[in-house]
Amino acid sequence: MIIAGLLISITSCQKLDAIRQDVLTDDQIFSSEAGITAYVAQEYRKLPIESFEYRPDGRNDGSGDIGFNLHHEWEHFYRAGAACGEMVGPYGGTGDIANGFGYWPYADIRAVNYFIATLPKYASNFTPDKVNNFLGEAYFIRAYYYFALAKRYGGIPIITTVQNYPQQTVQELQVHRNTEDEVWTFIGNQLDSAYQLLPASMGALERANKYTAMALKSRAMLYAGSIAKYGSQNFVDGDARAQGFAGISADKAPAYFQKAIDASKLVAEGPYSLYRKSADKIKNYTDVFLDATSPENILIRSYYAGDPERCNSWDATFSPQGKLNYMSSGGGSRAYPTLELVERFDSLNMVINPDGTPRRFDHPADPFQNLEPRLRATVYFPGDVLRGKVFDQREGIYLTIFNGTVADEVAKPSGARSYLSSSDPTITYNGALGTVIGGAGMYPPGSPDNVTRTGFYVRKYIDYTKTVDQVNLFTGTTPWIEFRYAEILLNRAEADIETNQLNDALTCLNDIRDRAGAPALTLTDMTVDVVRNERCKELAFENHYWWDIRRWRVADVWLSNAHFKGLYPYYVENEGKYIFLKETENFNRNYNFDKKNYYEGLPGGELATNPNLYPNNPGY
Amino acid sequence: MKLKIISTFLLGMFVLLGLSSCVKEDNYNGPDASLQGNVFEDGTDSTVQTCSGNFSIRLEQLSWSSTPTPQDIPIKIDGTYQNSELFSGHYRVSIHGGAFWPIDPVEMDIAKGSKQDFKLTPYVDISNFQAQFLDSNALTLTFKISAPIDGIPDINLIQPYVNTTRIVGPGASIYDFSDQMKDITIPAGGKAWSDFTDADKTRKIVIPNLIRGRIFYVRVGVGFNNNDKSSNLSNIIEVTVPQQ
Repeated sequence: MIIAGLLISITSCQKLDAIRQDVLTDDQIFSSEAGITAYVAQEYRKLPIESFEYRPDGRNDGSGDIGFNLHHEWEHFYRAGAACGEMVGPYGGTGDIANGFGYWPYADIRAVNYFIATLPKYASNFTPDKVNNFLGEAYFIRAYYYFALAKRYGGIPIITTVQNYPQQTVQELQVHRNTEDEVWTFIGNQLDSAYQLLPASMGALERANKYTAMALKSRAMLYAGSIAKYGSQNFVDGDARAQGFAGISADKAPAYFQKAIDASKLVAEGPYSLYRKSADKIKNYTDVFLDATSPENILIRSYYAGDPERCNSWDATFSPQGKLNYMSSGGGSRAYPTLELVERFDSLNMVINPDGTPRRFDHPADPFQNLEPRLRATVYFPGDVLRGKVFDQREGIYLTIFNGTVADEVAKPSGARSYLSSSDPTITYNGALGTVIGGAGMYPPGSPDNVTRTGFYVRKYIDYTKTVDQVNLFTGTTPWIEFRYAEILLNRAEADIETNQLNDALTCLNDIRDRAGAPALTLTDMTVDVVRNERCKELAFENHYWWDIRRWRVADVWLSNAHFKGLYPYYVENEGKYIFLKETENFNRNYNFDKKNYYEGLPGGELATNPNLYPNNPGY
Repeated sequence: MKLKIISTFLLGMFVLLGLSSCVKEDNYNGPDASLQGNVFEDGTDSTVQTCSGNFSIRLEQLSWSSTPTPQDIPIKIDGTYQNSELFSGHYRVSIHGGAFWPIDPVEMDIAKGSKQDFKLTPYVDISNFQAQFLDSNALTLTFKISAPIDGIPDINLIQPYVNTTRIVGPGASIYDFSDQMKDITIPAGGKAWSDFTDADKTRKIVIPNLIRGRIFYVRVGVGFNNNDKSSNLSNIIEVTVPQQ
């Protein structure tokens, strides 16, 4: 027994240094372009690109809340725009996303730092141009991570070398926050380096080229300029602000805006232009998001048809499925455009008479025929058709019209209104239409949310070429467009108007409006609000609005216990006509943004590990 | 046999030795301290008009860490607060949030039965608050607002709060009779106190369509464009809606 014990202790001293077969070594990665591409592909996969499947509230994957690279993520209606007024959706309120999910990607940044440090040792395997291209791509990737951090937290530690433990002491590794100004400046400088090193094309739209670097710079520098200008007017006081970790002084704004303009102009030297393939402006704008050959695309994230886990579920989670298999074979919708978003484009006052009573229409599509083509291509209206089915949503049927004005009618408590309603699309009634609410909705208050709450459905990115059978969860392969030229024009126009370069702003806006089918503006029309509104219209549902209302510091005003409205179609049985009432969406949810949420609080676990990250952002 | 006993004994000893290094005695006290108190309106004997969520008492345990994680005790609707499950130690105690003029934090030791009162001055004083049924089931509220001290933040909200219980205020009210009745002439971005005319400071709100025969509790609030968008509140009045 003792001999056995002695034997065991002796054998435990043997070293097991067989080489692992499942981990790539530096030699293998850096020896060939294929190896590097594999490494870089992993970095792109982890990039915090807010595409279809991004969850701004995080989702608990068993090891914590994460928002990117979720396994088996299909609930695309959990979208930032559905918590802040572009849409109403499954979130109970803005607070569900306002505190973020503790995004802290320093492990991924370390991988990029490691790449940048290690590549030069293997430079002899490649031509000098190739080495530069790889390095440039790494700088772009690193800048993208820091952009995602800065727009959430403000000042965070800038780490550009590989940290090693236990070779370095804990004290050395407990780095301090850099100021917010330093971080945004760093991002700009990284992208300048990337621009110098990257080629005009990397051969794939999923990879960054020199213009992509400038596209990100035009976005990031615009953000920094807004934060400097508007963050100095609307802020929460605290130590972090006093020490420069939360906030940038206002005098820095003009320089940031100019950097955004200059970067946008460099993108303009590239092969990009607004998509204008079709003379039919509604079809054209729809195809901006579906045509793989669009010259507007600067950086995309693709999906892989060979693996369901690498497909998206956009069509299946935004097409109505109130009635089984109506426009989708699986999934179902839960987020719907608000009337407030729609009226950024065009007023819908054509539905009301001068005396306040509802105007009558013969067909549900009648009021919407002359709306801006871009609006028609962004939102589905009653009467539109998809996959051979009609958007026939209605809230109910008035057997006879109500007395009085629309305003009085919608102010009544719901129990006091007398129209037929139903929470089942198949329920019929004894009248002209057959069913009470139509295959696409709408339910009375207190029902589930799998049909529209606002009378509208999202149209952007919906693939109209697919049949109902082809639409299901994990079958979507439409690429996500992360940068498109329209955004660059909008970044440039906004930076222009903030630095009084009105003529350039006018040219940019009119290019976008011409493509959109909107009338051209003149110099006297050009105000900050007009430029912002154009951005809200053009980039609707593309995960910009949440960050825009934050950097403009208007979120706490626009989302001050805000409730949103829809346009509710009804059929009037005894007249055989349709009416449309502007009323509060039937969940009547409250959306409120706290001022402290202009910055997320630093993740508690990181603060505990590294007390040098204090002070936390003001209010936390 | 003897060898077996000895070797088993030795084995047992080594196991115990190994395991004992994993055992650490927890000889810290549990949270047996408490802190409670009243928040008075400065210059009066009564507690401030407030409700849950209006502000909180912030504790930072300085004896544990120089960068302590803050811990908040919520204020109750009667203007008192209490937490009887605190760890004893040296704390910085301050008022967090709320529409009151800031006061200096208090550093104190908290142990069993500690007490700390505060005196706060609201930004706006709501006085002469009356609630009457002048016309069937429409409730007429009248009140006056004044600012004891100059330099208050912009006002961005004046609205009534109506609820079926005595717990009434922001976050505890019936939407149709409260948020829907807010004064829409006050911009969401805020209106400066200097822009309030004397007529603006004498206010009237009419809440129509209250349910007959029911008892409601009602108060009014003035909200500010400050860090946490908090409000000053009036006293609470109980009303019974007349049957006819």
